[in-house]
Amino acid sequence: MADNNDWEPKIVAFCCNWCSYGGADTAGMGRFQQPASTRVIRVMCSGRIDPLHVYNAFLEGADAVLVTGCHLGDCHYVNGNEKTELKYQFLEEMVKQLGLEPERLHLNWISASEGERFANFINDVTAKVKEIGPSPLKPEGVS
Amino acid sequence: MVEVGDKLVGYATDDEVRKRGASGGLVTAVLAAALEKGMVESVVVLKHIDEYEAVPIITDDVEEVLASTGSMHSVPVNLAKYAVDRKVAMPGKPCDIKAVIEQSKRNKIDLDNTYLVGLNCGGTMPPVLTKQMLIEMYDIDPEDVVGEDIEKGKLIYRTKDGNEKAISIEELEEAGFGRRKNCQYCQLKIPTNSDLACGNWGVIGDLAGSATFCEVMNEKGKRLIENAVEAGRIEVEPASDKAIAIREKVNGVMVKMGETTQEKVFTQMPDEERLPYYREALADCIDCGGCKLACPVCSCGDDAKCTLFHNLGDNYKMSMFHLVRLLHLSDSCIGCGQCTDVCPVDIPITRIQMSFSIPAQTRLNYKPGMNADEKPPFFEVMIQ
Amino acid sequence: MTQQESTTNEEAEELRIGAFICECGVNIAGAVDCNAVADYISTLPNVTTAVVNKYTCSDAGQDEIKKAIKELDLNRVLVASCTPKTHEPIFRACVEEAGLNPYLFEFVNIREHCSWIHMWEKEDATRKAKELVRMGVARAALLEPLQSSEVPVTNKALVIGAGVTGMQAAMDIGDMGFQVYLVEAGPSIGGKMAQLDKTFPTNDCSICILGPKMVEVNRNPNIEIMSYSEVEEVDGYVGNFDVKVKHKARYVDIDLCTGCNSCVEKCPVEVPYWEFNEGIGTRKAVYVPFPQAVPLRALIDKSICIDCGACSKACERGAINMDQEDTFSDLEVGVIVVCVGYDVYDPEPNHDFGFGLYDNVITTMEFERLINASGPTMGKVVRPSDVVQPKRIGFVQCVGSRDVNSNIYCSSFCCMASLKNAQLIKEKYPDSEVYIMYMDMRTPFRMYEEFYNRARDMDIHFIRGRPAEVTENEDQNIIARIEDTLTNKIENLELDMMVLSVGAVSPESTEKIRQILKVSRAADGFMMEAHPKLKPVDTTLDGIFIGGMTQGPKDIPYSISQGSACAARATRFLAQGKALTEGITIAVDEDICVRCEVCVPMCPFQALKMDDDGKLEIITALCKGCGTCAVACPTGALQQSHYKNNQILAQVKEVFAYEEV
Repeated sequence: MADNNDWEPKIVAFCCNWCSYGGADTAGMGRFQQPASTRVIRVMCSGRIDPLHVYNAFLEGADAVLVTGCHLGDCHYVNGNEKTELKYQFLEEMVKQLGLEPERLHLNWISASEGERFANFINDVTAKVKEIGPSPLKPEGVS
Repeated sequence: MVEVGDKLVGYATDDEVRKRGASGGLVTAVLAAALEKGMVESVVVLKHIDEYEAVPIITDDVEEVLASTGSMHSVPVNLAKYAVDRKVAMPGKPCDIKAVIEQSKRNKIDLDNTYLVGLNCGGTMPPVLTKQMLIEMYDIDPEDVVGEDIEKGKLIYRTKDGNEKAISIEELEEAGFGRRKNCQYCQLKIPTNSDLACGNWGVIGDLAGSATFCEVMNEKGKRLIENAVEAGRIEVEPASDKAIAIREKVNGVMVKMGETTQEKVFTQMPDEERLPYYREALADCIDCGGCKLACPVCSCGDDAKCTLFHNLGDNYKMSMFHLVRLLHLSDSCIGCGQCTDVCPVDIPITRIQMSFSIPAQTRLNYKPGMNADEKPPFFEVMIQ
Repeated sequence: MTQQESTTNEEAEELRIGAFICECGVNIAGAVDCNAVADYISTLPNVTTAVVNKYTCSDAGQDEIKKAIKELDLNRVLVASCTPKTHEPIFRACVEEAGLNPYLFEFVNIREHCSWIHMWEKEDATRKAKELVRMGVARAALLEPLQSSEVPVTNKALVIGAGVTGMQAAMDIGDMGFQVYLVEAGPSIGGKMAQLDKTFPTNDCSICILGPKMVEVNRNPNIEIMSYSEVEEVDGYVGNFDVKVKHKARYVDIDLCTGCNSCVEKCPVEVPYWEFNEGIGTRKAVYVPFPQAVPLRALIDKSICIDCGACSKACERGAINMDQEDTFSDLEVGVIVVCVGYDVYDPEPNHDFGFGLYDNVITTMEFERLINASGPTMGKVVRPSDVVQPKRIGFVQCVGSRDVNSNIYCSSFCCMASLKNAQLIKEKYPDSEVYIMYMDMRTPFRMYEEFYNRARDMDIHFIRGRPAEVTENEDQNIIARIEDTLTNKIENLELDMMVLSVGAVSPESTEKIRQILKVSRAADGFMMEAHPKLKPVDTTLDGIFIGGMTQGPKDIPYSISQGSACAARATRFLAQGKALTEGITIAVDEDICVRCEVCVPMCPFQALKMDDDGKLEIITALCKGCGTCAVACPTGALQQSHYKNNQILAQVKEVFAYEEV
């Protein structure tokens, strides 16, 4: 494992346009500082996040992947996040079975007004992942 | 009059068929009658080539149907996909029937047009390994085999010279032979998901070996039996209580064996060993796509997310093709073993898939292939 | 990257991407070295130009983009600045003006997601900005032009619910010249406001100001009132809704009935009048809802009618028709406004503050009917146990509101309602002692604070606290044990009658219409608007609007404002005669589709159907572009435009691409 103090994890966060992306914006507007670990990928609804996108992110080298969206009942498209939750059950089960550490995959519902919550989430996940080190699925030569 | 739920014992009226049949030729006669009387347009059967080889055919020729009688433990093909987009009757092991039901959930098979004559199954054997087993453990030349039976946990081979040799299946399997690995932990031995559940368990007394125990599972099964009786192709009588009890008992023993083996095979590896194990196991994959083609549940066609998301150049990381299939079949893998059979580099695909599917199906409280009205959880809109 | 889609667009033209990195004054430039980012981005393949602007969203910035598109022949534009949630429409319009399809524009957020959250880590912020823009460039290379389409709009409106909000909406739409169907489930329009006595802050008599409005609605040639009717089915989409309405049988022919009440006088069956009088007073089996009802027609409650025929005999015009059946209408409308109101919170199930246990604990709505001059007691305020005028009346605020045991929201009108009721009692019965037991007094709007002051000047007692225990004594007076938290004194307040200032809840009866229309429900149980700040009367469904109490508890002025707001929002479509549908939708590759039909039930907008040939039909006008069907599709035949798999995965890949330092 590389020198933990220098190594910064790379976290891919899938955010839905209406809520969690807005939450990330609100974190910025509130100047809630976060480590530069996270790369947000915007989709219109968390329901657009295919478990296969999550796998792809891990295979490309993500140390953690975050699936985020609106709180249940708040989905702009009525029930997209409920479908996300269902698919996430399969994803979670598989990731557990594969032996990937559970700290590397998270599902979180964050509303557009929850800037501080978003920032805390990023801070927490980054700290946890820093502790457990780079993802075992990370290809050689990817930082 | 036959009713749904009836447990019958019967046989083919044609002596030839009855004699050549594994247990009285009832299944063959029922299929033939269904074809004859226009209940279906064709029948799927296995055409014998020799003891270890047969090919599935779709035939509208009654003679071909009758000629196919006899069970073949060393031909582990899955017939489900032959029923797609056709009006057929077919025999099937429990896993064939499971696959048909799964295909119907995906709109590929119309169960109203498909007659399923289920066959009890204790397990099938891989042909090449079986020939090796005959040489090594039975000291028999595979070419000399004229018949085989499984009775009371023993695998019996009969040779040209009239001799018989039996070895317990447990002994064979400990030596690495015997049934295919997935059959060893399979827990559906009587095809309760079919229209007729047929087999030789529960056939006792002087009918032993020359009659079939047949349970009428639903309306379609009832029609099949009534049709065959009307056509004069079979004779049936109600099974005795003793026969029913014996069948239950044998099934119980077989299922328990399957449960025990499943526990042994699927022990949880320590967390840190799992990922390296899966990566190594899948590393040999040459992307032939055979497992997808052979899988009787897969109904996606040539292009599907498993192929579209996969890139040959990225294979050094971990095969996306397999990750997608592992995910998409978490709830629906029926453990038929076809994928392992066809893999040219001997990846134990079934075992790998089942190590994901068993916990998933337990967690979701869902059994694939049993009830056509039960949607796979992955297809649901939200958590129930 | 998938093998299916290539990295170039269909015509295989040369990609010419223009990247504009915004400094946003010091907002971005303070943490991110924009020049370094631009330099790096210009080294990437397919990038024709990468420049830095001070304020890309300004006129000057936008002009620069348009100029670059024309001069450099750009066919993709990327702006790296703030959040797309504010300026994406502006930049899309900007590139469209320069002749480029607006969906060939990519927006990268390097402010809220970068410079503002890494303010003191300049190196990290710059490196991250480079990566984010690199991700954007990769996506921009794969973007495809998209079109939104136009659907024609039927120039009629449906307003469901004829309380004050629905009436206002109907009038406004009707006055603008469009036909309105006003469907009301009850036998008369007017809603809850017709039950009230006086309205704050003016203490106008409610029905006196509502009545003329009701008459106006009735006379408006563009409004067709469908009373005692309910919406059963709604199909279609904005501009083209097919609505099935059930007209419930009144067993009275409304064309013959004049509301003269002759039948009512003769009817022998009398029951408590719940629907309008809160169970105080009675009505007959055949009844006219209230004297100012519109339409002023009778109806028969067959559940208690004994079929004696007295009403038929009494009616000179032969309007009674005991064999009448429900009838149905099929309407075609372009827009739907939903104003289906509220129910008062029911304190009975939990016996809040003794309601349902002690006779002399009543709700504010019951109080309204008592003090109303045309109510069951002709305006005399009497208490239930002995029908005697109560001298000491206490109001308890926040019943069923601001309470973790029932509803946590504030119902917004109850403070003012109790202030009004207290004032009316003091005016009518100057010798009464009136108490208001409150947690906070919420009196925010015009003249409301003055109204509060007026009440305080009228010697009404305000106790800041909530009764901890309510009992009754042998005279059936109510004893409320309460701590005044301002004086820290606990007292056992003896009252002749206690009025619970109940809040509003979303009626269970509206669940049906909510589900028919597929409007979401918010956490408080009322229907959900598209955006609480920016779109308070829109829903997430185009062409369907909510207003009044349907969108949450509020008072009459606010409700009327929302009624007009709904009318304005709805008439946009009616006036233009056409609606634009979402450009980001779904497309199916028929060669890959295997007709498994997993996608069809996934769509909450019912945009997916299997047609008669067994092929997948996409109703583009209904598709909102969520993409959940694309995830469910096992083959990948369904793709969401603008968020295709290859576009998403290109971004993922670029996160980890090797960067020359």
